[in-house]
Amino acid sequence: MMQSSSYPKFAVVGHPNKGKSSIVSSMAYDDSIQIGDTPGTTQVNRGFPLKVDGEIIYELFDTPGFQRARRILSWLKEQEPVSADKRGDLVKKFIVENREHPKFKDEIELLEPIVNGAGIIYVVDASKPYGVEYETEMEILRWTGQPSMAILNLIGDEDYRDQWKRALGHYFRLVRTFNPIEATFRDHMELLESMAQLKEEWTKPIQKAIGILETLHQQKIEHSVDTIVSSMQKSLSYIYVAKIKGDSATKLEEKTAKLEYQKQIVKYEREHKQEIEKIWNHRSIDKAEDALLLDDIGLFSKESASIFGLSQKELIITGASAGALGGLGIDLAFGGGTLFLASLIGGAVGGVGAMVGFDNIYDVKVLGQSFGKRELTVGPMKNLNFPYILLGRALYHASVMAKRSHAQRDFVNLGDENSYTGQVIDSDMRKKLERVHVKLRARNVPKDESIKEYRDTVLKGLLGLLG
Amino acid sequence: MQTKNSNLSIKTYLDFSQLLELYRGDHEQNRSFALKREKLLQNPLKLLLDWSNLNQFRLTEELNSKSYLSYLSRLSSIFGLLFFIIGFFVGLGLLSYSGEAPVNIIYYLLIVMVVPLLSMTLSLLSMLTHGGVADFFNHLFPLHWIEKLFSTLPFAKRVDSLDSPLSAELSKWIFIERIQLLSLLFSFGLLISLLLMVVVKDIAFGWSTTLQLSPEVFQSILASIGILWEGVLPSAIPSLELVEISQHFRLGRRVDPQMIQNADKLGAWWKFLAMTTIVYAICFRFILWLISKYGVKRQLERDFLALEGVQGILREFNTSFISTKAPKQEIHLEIVEDSIEQVSDNMYKSYNTIFGWNFLKDEIVLANDAKEIRGLAIFAVGGSSSFSEDESKAENAKESVLLFVKSWEPPTMDFIDFLEILIENREVHEVQLYPLGTVGRYYDSDAKDIAIWRRKIQGLKSKKVWVIDDAE
Repeated sequence: MMQSSSYPKFAVVGHPNKGKSSIVSSMAYDDSIQIGDTPGTTQVNRGFPLKVDGEIIYELFDTPGFQRARRILSWLKEQEPVSADKRGDLVKKFIVENREHPKFKDEIELLEPIVNGAGIIYVVDASKPYGVEYETEMEILRWTGQPSMAILNLIGDEDYRDQWKRALGHYFRLVRTFNPIEATFRDHMELLESMAQLKEEWTKPIQKAIGILETLHQQKIEHSVDTIVSSMQKSLSYIYVAKIKGDSATKLEEKTAKLEYQKQIVKYEREHKQEIEKIWNHRSIDKAEDALLLDDIGLFSKESASIFGLSQKELIITGASAGALGGLGIDLAFGGGTLFLASLIGGAVGGVGAMVGFDNIYDVKVLGQSFGKRELTVGPMKNLNFPYILLGRALYHASVMAKRSHAQRDFVNLGDENSYTGQVIDSDMRKKLERVHVKLRARNVPKDESIKEYRDTVLKGLLGLLG
Repeated sequence: MQTKNSNLSIKTYLDFSQLLELYRGDHEQNRSFALKREKLLQNPLKLLLDWSNLNQFRLTEELNSKSYLSYLSRLSSIFGLLFFIIGFFVGLGLLSYSGEAPVNIIYYLLIVMVVPLLSMTLSLLSMLTHGGVADFFNHLFPLHWIEKLFSTLPFAKRVDSLDSPLSAELSKWIFIERIQLLSLLFSFGLLISLLLMVVVKDIAFGWSTTLQLSPEVFQSILASIGILWEGVLPSAIPSLELVEISQHFRLGRRVDPQMIQNADKLGAWWKFLAMTTIVYAICFRFILWLISKYGVKRQLERDFLALEGVQGILREFNTSFISTKAPKQEIHLEIVEDSIEQVSDNMYKSYNTIFGWNFLKDEIVLANDAKEIRGLAIFAVGGSSSFSEDESKAENAKESVLLFVKSWEPPTMDFIDFLEILIENREVHEVQLYPLGTVGRYYDSDAKDIAIWRRKIQGLKSKKVWVIDDAE
């Protein structure tokens, strides 16, 4: 067990209940790690290697907290005095001799990765005052002779960082503040940069890890955008088809068809959100959000539209702009010979269409089919606000997932309207989005370049929310 | 990036599509698969086909491709045979010679050259256009309507009900390919009937038109038609003399005497007619069939890469699999809830011994003052004291003991060891454990911190130890 590997290793250690597991959870992007306010939640050390195609770049160890630090220090001091360079061997000796000792189970789990070459990340809660009892733990860690740094975790509201810094400065080369619950991706990278300074040989691998994680972060954003765009395409162009027996659909057939249509749209949204949560590795998330209501008074009411969708005024402007853009194409094709009448007409038609279309939901049609059969179709969604509501919800959800620390275990309220900043989709972006929405509503396949433009706009929106 | 692959067929496409409905692998598996075939990373199509082959075993239900291809081959066989027979009989009809009037080659040329050229033009237009426009051209083919009728047959219905992933564009190409193949079979039937009739009958060919076409002009038209084989087979181009003697006028009851005199020469037309059939109805059609086959293949490649889920798999092939997961399983802490709560708010004014766990002596005195309590003996334990020092203090304690602890610091096993000495000390009647908050908060504690202490003391199952709970 006591062999060392070439990649950097870090053991996150400290007093019980000071947020060690939260830090590991946040740094390893793993929300499955048990975090509790009961001391002793972590009972064995667990390595969290950052692996790229099977190659380990660095490894982070979550460890149990110190339980009987004074007894270990006493044991170490009782041994025959050795020079400072040999003290690490004494710690190893302690592990070997006490491996089966039930009273030192936690300490052995804690010290094992360190004697195997891991750097020390000592975590304290700087929202509580410094106490002399910590010195025993820090002294033991100093005996190991491994490179070390301290992290000030602010769990509570008070701030005793200055007091802690003065004390920790005697034992650790680096002291950094890091709150795993609120840490952003940038904070993670900065912490890694600090960890890279602990040992000269670790600088390159950690720099490599930073590069990898930055690429991974970017990939996750791109993947999220692709998922949102694909889901938008599916939802906006979806048509539910049901075969009917008579010449026209009965009320029941129409109601059932509408219900099936709504179910599918809700399913598409649920599936894409699950995919987004999977991308950001939030698999154990406990969340509540307003359901996507697809009835006449839910999603399509002017009141609810104001949360994620656009106001009627914004829709009229968007519709008019999209119409005018279409007209402009015709004008340009005629070299302006149409005196830009087409743009004018297009704008007017688009604007009126938006005005009328605000309250429209979706077409319910009965279509004749060959050989006398008839079909009842519902969709695609005609409501002009629908795409913006759907996109708004998708972007908000994706941004929450992207920003949420894996150390957080609290309930996510996605129905919090105040958290959504509708301003991320400005009028210029709306025009670009509307071009594709128009195509999808008409069941036309948008051109690749339109989809690319749409994707870029969604990406811009998401980046806007991510800040 | 290469996107060509010779192994791609409708079957592989349909199987792959069915597999994607069922299984897409995960990033780790897909990346590992791609890394083992690093050379193929530049050829996503080949890589996907290999991936599909490797995972075919997952398709345990009946393959959609089996039903679809069986339908397609049945359709092609029935129509193929039908078109061949129709071609053969159309040939017989065109070449039927009663002996009263010669066979008009213009009819024959219409069927083997003009109609195929028109149909090939329509095919080309359909190939070059997309969506509704291409659909319009396809609707002009009678085959389209025949197949529509055919699709109402029971076995065809079953195939129709399959959720076929064939795109409109791919269906268009498959239809065009089928048109070329069937037309080719029709032309073969026609050619065979021509050769058969030539062998078994002496056919007098002639030409007749209402248009005022001189033999010279007609011959030049025929020579233009035959320009493609002029160099190879000049005898298959009718001479001016043959054209002149073959002209037939319907006026009069009998065949022109000049024609009868040259009856042995009139049969020479067959070579020209055979070559026209071979070149225009067969070779041209064959070329178009090859083009349409290529079109099907190209469209298959495009659709293959556009299938839902493919881009995700390709992304997983090409992006490194980054993992931060722990290989070792977490051992979950089991929290045993005990029924007896050792909580009290009955504090004394005076204690025999007051301990401060991890407090300095001055801090204990300050806390006593704040809480208006007194102690006969006051000791700082934990912190920088050694365990043996604390042990002796605990062993010497008597009667009522107050033990201050920092409420925000959870109980460690070191503390529990100390507490157990107090519990085992028979001189000690009661231990009151008082979790204090920070001085900054006037010793007030958080309820959640107190709860931790309460749970821990509860777990000790000692009736001697009580937790003083004055949390906010």
